[in-house]
Formats: sequence, C-alpha cells, structure tokens
Amino acid sequence: MLQIKNLVAGYGKVQVLHGISIHVPKGKVVTLIGSNGAGKTTTMRAISGMIAPTSGEISLNGTRVEGKESYDIAKLGLAHSPEGRRVFATMTVNDNLILGAFPRLTGSRPKGDVAGDLERALDLFPRLKERRLQLAGTLSGGEQQMLAMARAVMLNPDVVLLDEPSMGLAPILVAEVFRIIARLKSEGVTMLLVEQFAAAALAVADYGYVLENGRISVHGPATQLRDDPAVKAAYLGGSGSH
Amino acid sequence: MKSRNLILTILGIAALLLFPVGIHNPYYIHLLETIMIYAIVLFGLDIVVGYTGQVSLGHAGLFGIGAYTAGVLVFKLAAPLWITLPAAVLLTAGFGALLALPALRVSGPYLAMVTLAFGTIIQILINEMSFLTEGPLGIKLEKPSMFGHKLDEREFYWLVVVLTVLSCVVVHRILRSHLGRAFEALRGSPVASDCMGVSVYRYKVYAFVISAGFAGLAGSLYAYSEQYISPNSYNNELTVLFLLAVIMGGRKSRIGSMVGAAIIVLLPKLLDDIEMFRYVSVGLAILVAVVAVLGIQKGRTTWKQMAIPVAGSIALAVLSFTLKTMTDWRLSIFGVIMLFVVYYLQDGIVGFVRSALNLKRAKAEGEVAGVAFKGADALSTTTAGSGGEILKATGVLMQFGGLKALNNVDLSIRRGTIHGLIGPNGSGKSTMMNVLTGIYVPTAGEINFAGRSVVGRTSSDIALSGIARTFQNVQLFGEMTALQNVQVGLHHTFASNLLDVSLHTPRYLRESTAATQRGLGLLKFVGLEDLAFEEARNLPYGKQRLLEIARALALDPQLLLLDEPAAGLTAPDIKELISFIRKIREHGVTVILIEHHMDVVMSMCDTVSVLDFGQKISEGLPAQVQADEKVIEAYLGGTAT
Repeated sequence: MLQIKNLVAGYGKVQVLHGISIHVPKGKVVTLIGSNGAGKTTTMRAISGMIAPTSGEISLNGTRVEGKESYDIAKLGLAHSPEGRRVFATMTVNDNLILGAFPRLTGSRPKGDVAGDLERALDLFPRLKERRLQLAGTLSGGEQQMLAMARAVMLNPDVVLLDEPSMGLAPILVAEVFRIIARLKSEGVTMLLVEQFAAAALAVADYGYVLENGRISVHGPATQLRDDPAVKAAYLGGSGSH
Repeated sequence: MKSRNLILTILGIAALLLFPVGIHNPYYIHLLETIMIYAIVLFGLDIVVGYTGQVSLGHAGLFGIGAYTAGVLVFKLAAPLWITLPAAVLLTAGFGALLALPALRVSGPYLAMVTLAFGTIIQILINEMSFLTEGPLGIKLEKPSMFGHKLDEREFYWLVVVLTVLSCVVVHRILRSHLGRAFEALRGSPVASDCMGVSVYRYKVYAFVISAGFAGLAGSLYAYSEQYISPNSYNNELTVLFLLAVIMGGRKSRIGSMVGAAIIVLLPKLLDDIEMFRYVSVGLAILVAVVAVLGIQKGRTTWKQMAIPVAGSIALAVLSFTLKTMTDWRLSIFGVIMLFVVYYLQDGIVGFVRSALNLKRAKAEGEVAGVAFKGADALSTTTAGSGGEILKATGVLMQFGGLKALNNVDLSIRRGTIHGLIGPNGSGKSTMMNVLTGIYVPTAGEINFAGRSVVGRTSSDIALSGIARTFQNVQLFGEMTALQNVQVGLHHTFASNLLDVSLHTPRYLRESTAATQRGLGLLKFVGLEDLAFEEARNLPYGKQRLLEIARALALDPQLLLLDEPAAGLTAPDIKELISFIRKIREHGVTVILIEHHMDVVMSMCDTVSVLDFGQKISEGLPAQVQADEKVIEAYLGGTAT
C-alpha cells in the first residue's frame, strides 16, 4: 500500500533522514518509534508532500508520489492528521469534516456517501457530535485532536498518517484515542502511527520501526519489538506508558 | 571571513567618497546622493517591515515631514544645518509615534490602509497649510553652510555619505542588540513577547519612532539635495516604491536596503533610453542564468524551478531588441520587472543571492565566538522567604459570553513547591494560566502574587515581577535562533538605552556579553547548547518545548508555569525533563505544572489540584487525588495508573 525506499529528507541544510525504508501493507497498522528529533514527524511530512525529499522513493498504491504536492498526494488517497492539530479554527466542526472530504466533492476521488460518512465520523467521536456547530478554534485541545483525526478519515483514504494523536490529551481520552485507532483498524483502515506512548502504539500495531538519528535501527512485528530488551529499555520504560 | 567583510566595507566607503573626485558630472553625483538618501529611509523602514513585521505605507509622509521641517526652518528662520537636521529627526520621530498608535490596534491590510491614509493626510496638510509651507508653490532652499562655509555639490555629497554610513552603523547596532531582538520577537509571537517582559505596546512604538527618525533625517537631506520641495514629491507612489524597495532588496538586510534604493532610483532612469534598456535586460538575463546554473550545481534549486525566471529574463532581453522606442513601454516594463522580482525572489535579491550561492546568513555566531558559559549552571537562585504562600487566588471567575471557563476557583501555591494542575481537556487549566499571566483579565476574583495583586496589570509587567511561563501551543520566535530566543527572555537584564546601543558603550558591551553567556548557560541547562545557532522553527517539536523552558527561566522567575511540558515527549526525554524540573525547584523556583502524563505529575508534585468544567473538584497530595472517585471518573478513567 505505502512503500518507502531509502528516503533522505531534511530542512534547508539540515539533513534529518539518512535513507530509511518502511513498508505499510494494506489493512495493517505500522508504528514508528523514536526519541525527539529522531525524524518521525519529518518522515510523515515527507510522505504527505509537506516537504520535498532530497532522494528516495515513496509509492502509494504503486504510484510514485515523492516530490508531488500535498494536495495531489491527498487525491491519491493519503490523509495526514498532523502534529499539533492544525484544524480550521474559524470554521465549524461540521465544515472542518466536510473539508476533509474535499477531493471527494470535487470528483478527484470517488464520491461515495459523504453525508453518511460525516454521521459515521461523528458517531466515532461523540464529543464532536455534541459540538458539531461550534467553531473549531473554540474546542479544547483534546477535542481539536479528535477533529483532526476525524477529518483525516473523511477523505475515505487508503492510508492515514497519524502524528501524535494522543498529544496533550487527558489520560481518559488517551485510552479513547487508542480505542478509536483499534476500531478503525478493525474496519480495515491502513495506518502509519507516530506515538509518544510507544507501548500503547505497539499494542495496537501489527509492525513497528524504531528510528534513531534518522536511521531505522530495529524493525519487526509489534509483538517481537515489545519483547526486545533494547527497545524496552529505551522506549517502553516505566514512564510514558499509561 | 570577518576581515574580508571589513576590507569590502572599507573599499565600498572609499569608492563612495572618491566618486565625485573621479566623476565631475553633477547629474551622476546627484543620482548617487539620492540613492543614499533613500537608503537611509529604507534602513528605518526595514526596522518596521522586516523586523517587527508591520506594514507601513506612511513612510513617504514621514519623509515629507522631514523635508518640510528642514525647508520651513530654513525659509522662515534661516536656521543652520546643525539645527535643521536634529529638528527634522525629532519632529518626524514624534509623528512616528502617532503612526504607531493604529499599529497597536490593527495589523495586516487594515494597518496598510490606516498608514496609507496617514501619508495622504500629511500630503494634503502640507498642501493646505500655505502660511507655513507655501502650499503648492513649494519652498526653494540652498545648499547648507557648515562652519561658515557654504557647501558645494561635492561637499554636500560627502556629508550625505558620512550620514548614510553612520545611519547604517547605528541601525545595524540597534538591530543586533536587545532592542532588535525585541522588535523581531513581536513579529514571531506577540503573546510570548509580553510574557517575556517585552511589552509589545512599548516596542512597537519604539520601532515606529526610530524608523520615523531615519525617515526624517533622510527627508531633510533630500530637501537640501533637491534644493526645492513641493507637496507632490511625497505621494503614495513614493511610499509604495519604498515598500517595494525593502521587499525587493531583501528584508532584514542593510545591503538589501541599499540594493533596493539603487533599484528604485536607477531602474526608471535606465528605462528612459532604449540603448540603456538593452544593456540592462541582457545583463539581467546573464545574471539570472549564472545564478541559476550556480544554484543548480550546488543543489540549492532545480531546473524546473529556474526555468521560468531564466526564460522570462531572456524573453525580456529579446523584447528589448525588437522595440524601437521606449516611451510607450517604460512604465509597463518597470512594472513587469518589479512583479517578477517580488514573485520569484520572495526573500529579495539579497536573500536569493545568499541562498543560491549558499552563503550563510551573517550569523551571530561570529560575535559570540570566544564567549562561553562558565559556572555550574545559569539558573539564578531565588531565596526570597522560603515557605509561605507565593500565590493566592480566591474566587476566580472567568466568563466568555455565557461560558464560565473558570467558576469560583481558589488556588493557593506554597513557595518552593511543585503544584500540579490537572483535569480533562477543556476544564480550564490553560485559562487559569492565562489569567495568572495577565492575558485574560478575570471577570471576578482576586489574585495575589508575592503580596501584590495581579489583576488588571499587563502581561509584561506581571512577567517582570517574577512569573514566567511556557505555552501549550509552542510560542517561539521562529525566525530567531535558539540563543536569541533565550536572550529575549534576558531582555530585563539590559539597562542600556538607544545611545548605549548606538555607541557600544562599556555598559552595553558588558550587558551584551553577560546575556550571551547566560543564554548559552541556560541552553546548556536544557541540553540544547549544540543547537544554539539553529533557527527555532527548525527544531523538532520536543526540543522547541525545552527551548521554551530555557527562555522562561531567563526571566529569573520566582514562579514558573509549565503548560504540558511533556506533551509529545517520549519516555527517555520525559525522564530528563523530570530531572531538570526538580533542579529548577532546587533553585527555589516555585512551579505550577499542567500535565497529562500521570507518572510525571505523581512523581514530582507536592500538591495536586484537579479542575473539571471550570471548577476545582479535588485537591491534595498526589496519592489522595489519584484515589479520589470524582477524579477517576472525570479524568483518569479506569485504565490509568
């Protein structure tokens, strides 16, 4: 579904990723683990076209997308729920969600049942349903995070990139977010997940990659990584799990 | 590198000074003089546009005020040069303060409109106030005298050279100092500036006043240079040209201002004559092609990106040879070139050349070389009366329309403790932070910090009295380096004024070195010393959060408010965070901690308060709160540990 080969990327003169390869098979959840500055968000941004990679290949459903613009990559079926939410603050929750389906409304993706999907998305996030006519900027941080996720799903995407979906959420909502990820997975949504709660991410994921200083140091099935002593010591230690 | 720059600068000044010795044609001398006078305006305008990020379309008006101050003083009182120049600077600076007033309330297109109106009003006033300005007739004046000797064309030229160089040095020094950092901080994040004790209000006015002062100086020189002033010279076209010059030359650059000034003066003249135009367009095409090839070789750009500029400049060159006369085409071509530059070179000509040739922006690195932080750590220790209450909030009510974001909240923080503030998203924690730091004024209730009420005071005032904070959504000054961000926090350690900065007095140099040392020390404390010269926006998210803490500590706070410092941090980073928050407390700084990572809250806090729907639902020792049924139901959920 999503195949990344020898991706090199960075900002200006700073090279962050030094040739990483990742494979996200259809219907699977793959997680990317690493400390701050390892290059997780840069990977996400390169995949969705927010930055142009220096070299390497990114293919989505067999189509090469590296160097393409974000909006073209979205049309090919990739949705990105970015770090730090980035909701459209002056628009209502409803409008934010409908904008998530924009390529479906303009005919560059199969239309399907947008109105029905809107209701399904709101059912998935009951807190958003209560606030569907409220301006997104007036939502609390946690609600905005949910809106960003729901908006990504509205594309009816082939692959969803989730960057830190639990950041800044109360513990009770963190559990909720992981329940939603599990539910999306059971519906067959393909996901690439970056999460601060590495243990929880590995619990929901099928496969994991560990990113260290812009290189993949370890990768393997999620169950195997959970038991890997080195991974345990570095990323799953007492703190950070919930 | 540094000595090479120095040699180039000396050569440049020498060339300017020797120009009229080699070339006697007064036309060219006057042309160069005009460029320098415009450059002085642009140095000042760049402070407002490039650094504080405000738009001003009022600078032609300010330029006119400077010109008329000199003109009227000479015409009515026959005032000498040493009175007219300072008078023009001071009076125009005063009008600059007037122009700053709308900038305090509006920004973006609205500010552009208001400043445009300001410029228009000035022009009309000059026209109407005939008793003072001779109205549309204008004022004739002669070249000034110095020491009883009337300056001739060449001598006046030298005076302009000297004043231009002085202006350049002074502006450069201001912008490299704490004042310049304050201006740039306003652009990066006004909220964060206020919370670092840098009053947005005050520094916006400063920026406009200083900027206007230079416009006034330039205006008065222009009056002597032209020897005739009339209201029509200071119209809206000129103001747009000034703005274009800053953008085309490259903002935040003195060389950019000079290049911009040269373009707006020379380009219309070059386009007068078809022969000249042919030279210019061929030269431009060659320049663009060379830069494109160099850029592609260095991997800074691609053929795709460069195709249109190269093709466009070649097309222009071809066009120049098919035209028979210039008269009909002059303005259109001028417009096309302008559009072309603004559209393709968004960082201006200087920025474009810099990035194509891979030149580093003249960084503060050089100045900082050799300055290193010595000592154990850069945190100040506050000892002021340990124990007791540092902050007491009673009955705080914060109402937005019908919504009570905070509903009668009491909070009592003991000095030297870490006080946790937790609660569901939207429960009012961040609102509480904003109330404590003066961003919101509470609808009702009383807040006392160190024996003084906080309610109704400005954010910068509260910050200076000892409350520092970080932000839930990171509020760094993106275009500034990590070190500069921390130095904005150290703004309060400067007592130097404009004069100290301009002259680099011992007091300023001492304070500047001290701020650099402490800045590096604080970066070291949070583990960012290797990234000191990286722009803040290029740092990974987690490191941005650490930088915010370093910046907050620079205020030497008694009370530090941390809004979700661990958000987005992974397990190993969180361990580090815990260890240095503990260190902060050991220095006697009281901490209020908003955080969702329960292990962080539970392992560090002395007391925890829980908010839900704007009300305090629980308070006590971490273990008590964790066991509270209400807290589990509203916040922790069944799965949390």
